[in-house]
Amino acid sequence: PDGVVVLPAPQNLSIQSANMKHLLTWSPVIMPGETVFYSVEYQGEYESLYTSHIWIPSSWCSPTKGPECDVTDDITATVPYNLRVRATLGSQTSAWSTLEHPFNRNSTVLTPPRMEVTKDGLHLVIELEDLGPHFEFLVVYWREEPGAKEHVKVMTGGLPVHLETMEPGAMYCVKAEALVKAIGKHSAFNQAECVEVQGESLPL
Amino acid sequence: SLRRCLISVDMRLIEKSFHEIKRALQNKDTFQNVTILSTLQSLKTIKPIDVCCVTKNLLTFYKDRVFKDHQELSPQILRNISNIANSFLYMQRALQQCQGQRWCQCSQEAINATRIVHDNYNQLEVRSAALKSLGELDIFLAWIDKNHQETSA
Repeated sequence: PDGVVVLPAPQNLSIQSANMKHLLTWSPVIMPGETVFYSVEYQGEYESLYTSHIWIPSSWCSPTKGPECDVTDDITATVPYNLRVRATLGSQTSAWSTLEHPFNRNSTVLTPPRMEVTKDGLHLVIELEDLGPHFEFLVVYWREEPGAKEHVKVMTGGLPVHLETMEPGAMYCVKAEALVKAIGKHSAFNQAECVEVQGESLPL
Repeated sequence: SLRRCLISVDMRLIEKSFHEIKRALQNKDTFQNVTILSTLQSLKTIKPIDVCCVTKNLLTFYKDRVFKDHQELSPQILRNISNIANSFLYMQRALQQCQGQRWCQCSQEAINATRIVHDNYNQLEVRSAALKSLGELDIFLAWIDKNHQETSA
């Protein structure tokens, strides 16, 4: 009927994904003086192939106020997912807007991990950031000397780990990359960090 | 071994999804003295060569019948089932790519084992059969875990 404002559907849906955290964003629907809510739904490849009528309410954004939604807990398999959003104002709901291309978490950007390399007496200790359950880290460390031999360890993040007992007067270096088995990918290596132990180097 | 085929599959997350809905599913199952995956418990003697075929066939059973036949209203249960269904879809592809041309030869024993599951399923009304099969997912998941650790292709 005349004069009734039709609630427009959200526009410009896009998804940003880094380190297996996936954020869906869209342009807010502006209704002066009103608070517009949004509902997000998703469909995995299984649903789109076998039960295409089924859309699942997002874990955290059905409804939500902000023009964004963390869908990390919804995207739980390495298959393409369809995502859609609609606006709600009182009893009015807009049409659904669907993300133009299905999203697969294997497109997430893996960044070189942040790490802290310290010495505890003669002990070389590393701590890597905790990026969540999907992450392991490949750590490479060596004693800085001609013909240095690299050592490799795979570990999880969030806790200090003892790498090596160092010799006084020697320098030791460490670098690491992030591994995500669930998508079969790894990040680039981060910048190597070196520490030196004061004191006389022991005669060989 | 088949283990490397499913190396990128996080079984713990699938098992977590199931355990979050197991009680709700099993409480709704009114046919307590009937089982669909019974054959899996008696498959102690399955040969390593048959593990791939039985895995593939049971993934297909869940994908093509159980998840389709089950109707769910609870968003929370729907989310967990969706995670399992999409993980099974990924697993089947991972197995298929990994096996390549030798994609799961099937012996008569493996075929019979799968047929028993389908026969059990057909004995029940379809919604009840789907619900029971979902409630018995822990049997299948434990079987995958066990058989994809020790087998060699």
